[in-house]
This record gives sequence, structure tokens and C-alpha cells, in this order.
Amino acid sequence: MKSLIVVSGIMLAAAAHLSAHHSFAAEFDASKRVTLKGTVTRVDWRNPHIYVYLNVKDASGAVTEWACEGGPPNVLMREGWTRDSVKEGDQVTIDGALAKDGSKRCNSRSVNLADGRRVFAGSSEDSAGKQ
Amino acid sequence: MRNFRFRNLMIGAVSTVILLGVIPNPVRAQWLKYPVKGTPRGPDGKADLTAPTPRRPDGKPDMTGVWMGVTKYMINIAADLKEDEVPLRPAALEEYKRRRANESKDDPSARCLPLSLPLKQTITSPFKLIDIPGKEEMVMLYEGARHREIFMDGRPLPKDPEPSWYGYSIGKWEGDDLVIDSNGFNGQGWLDINGHPTSEALHVTERYHRIDFGHMSLEITIDDPKMYTKPWKVKESPRLLPDTELLEAVCENNQDLEHMVGK
Repeated sequence: MKSLIVVSGIMLAAAAHLSAHHSFAAEFDASKRVTLKGTVTRVDWRNPHIYVYLNVKDASGAVTEWACEGGPPNVLMREGWTRDSVKEGDQVTIDGALAKDGSKRCNSRSVNLADGRRVFAGSSEDSAGKQ
Repeated sequence: MRNFRFRNLMIGAVSTVILLGVIPNPVRAQWLKYPVKGTPRGPDGKADLTAPTPRRPDGKPDMTGVWMGVTKYMINIAADLKEDEVPLRPAALEEYKRRRANESKDDPSARCLPLSLPLKQTITSPFKLIDIPGKEEMVMLYEGARHREIFMDGRPLPKDPEPSWYGYSIGKWEGDDLVIDSNGFNGQGWLDINGHPTSEALHVTERYHRIDFGHMSLEITIDDPKMYTKPWKVKESPRLLPDTELLEAVCENNQDLEHMVGK
């Protein structure tokens, strides 16, 4: 836990070095931002990108499941995260870019836990803008 | 004796559990952080990345280490060049523009296809260079790609090689520079994620110079007469990742593919 907090402090600097496995722009629209608050239902810790699934409740009480892409596991591990950094049931806020195909998916630029800790940096968007 | 056997059994059982990976997080991360022997260190115990270049018994630089490239070259290998400094032939330029217009939707790595040269050197997943003592060969292991053998025994490059993703590599020393020549590519690899194209005529020259313990320069020459009007060079600056080893990064079937719509 301690290392997680330390790492989150250097996250912004580190994000610039993280890798894009494939083109960000072919899949996500950087101009369409989304902030999702919800409950984690599953973390799919796999290559080439992890996915965090979360249930998001709207004003009417309807629940929608979203899936948000993160970095590759090896890159995230080098930044101090593990597959247990976010767990089922955690309340998270994800800031990201929406999928171009209109599906309930996003590329997560940041994932914040309820206590404010930031985890799972490593969006392919961070390096995608550098042409 | 019985206690001794029991102890051995327990050691075996614990080892098996460790091998199976049923262990807490910090250890599960393989050797993500582990002090590597022979690493020069400062008074605080941290790796001294500006210590002198280590040397082999014959005086040549010891290139061994876990190294990683710089993000911008993975995205665009010509990041430091002006647009007109990349001597694309008209058809190659057209293909490059098509790939850019489509936001690199057809990037082979998005389909978990192999990373070809030079992308496997510039991608920001580490590679481990191993100089085998007493053997005229070097090996590069990759976190996210297949290994590569570099033969240093004086053999020539194959004249009419079967096309391959990874090519064939030979190396030699020019002073303190390690110079690696590779050919025999299949033309399916992209030079970068942006999509600078290649053909089967691609010949890549890498010139590595270990500046000090933690830094090297890498000059890459792209010579592909079917795609470019003349050879062109780019400069990279891989850095050493101290006290770590390669992790596993197997590209599983890319689940994003169906969502990649391009522009």
C-alpha cells in the first residue's frame, strides 16, 4: 500500500513514458471526454491492455456496465500496480475518452479510488498525441 | 532423519507454491525489483547510472543489461526529423498517408502480430541484451516480442533469405560501437505505430554505443530502396532499467479489434 501511494505521486511524470500497444485514435475519440463514477465489477488483467468493468448508476437509478481500457500489465507492474490495486466492489471515478463506435467503453486516463488514490495510469492516449 | 525429510518436504512444498505463483503481490511480480549483481552503486545503495561503461575481459564494452527505448520513436520513428527528411517514394508516401488517415487501424501489433525491426527496439517495453562470454554471439530478449540472435562470428548476411518478421542479424565491433546488420524481412512490419512502411528489401543497421552504465545511443539506418529513395538515419537513446528483469507480456488475442473503427 505504501508503495502504491508513493507511486501515485510520481504517476504524472511516469505517464508520459507509458506505452501504447496500438493506435489510441483508431478506437477512442480524445475530444469526447467522459467521467464515470461507479462500482467495480471486474478487473480483466490481461495483455495487451487491462480492462476495468464498472456499474454506473444514472439519475433515474438505471445501472449500465462500462468497460474502460488501461495500460498493458507489464507496463503497469513497472509503475507499481498489481491486479489487486483495484478490486471488485471498489468505488472508482474514471476519467477517459469515449469509444468511437458508440459502445459503453472508454480509455481511462485516470482511475481514482474513493479515498482519492490514483491507480492504473498508463492510457495509450498519453503517448498517442505525439505524432 | 525424519525431521530432516519433513523439512525437505516442506521446502519442496513451499518452492512449488512459489513456482505456481500462489504468493502475495510483491513477490508475485517475478523479479520486477531485485538488486542485480555487478551493478555500481552510490552511497545510498541505488544504481549509479553514470558510472563508467562496464568492460569485457577483452576491453570491449559489456552491453549486457535491461534497456528501454523512448516513447516518441515508438509512435513516430522520424519524430526528430522534418517531414521532407523522410525520403518516402510516392507509393510509400501514399500508403503512409492512408495509414495515418485511418489512425493506424491496421497496425499489425493491434492484431498481436509480431513486432519487426526497428519497432521492437524502440517500443517502450524493455529488451535485455546478453553478451554470452566466450561465444561469438549476442542475444536480445524482449518483454513483448520474440528473442533475437545476433551472430558475431563473421558470417555474412544471407543472400536470398526466406522473408521473415524478425529478419537475420549479424554483428561486429567498430571500435567501441556494436554494429548490427539485419535483412530478410517480410515487408509486413511497420517501422512505427504511425505506419512508416517497409518492404522485403529492408536492411536495418543498428549502431549501439554504451555511453556509461545507464545510457546508450542507438543510431538506426533504414535502407529500403523499394520504399525510400535513399538510406535515412534516426537516433534513439535507450536507457538502462536497473535492478529489474523482463516480465511476461504475451499478446493475447486483442479484444479491442472489433472496436477499432479508424477515422
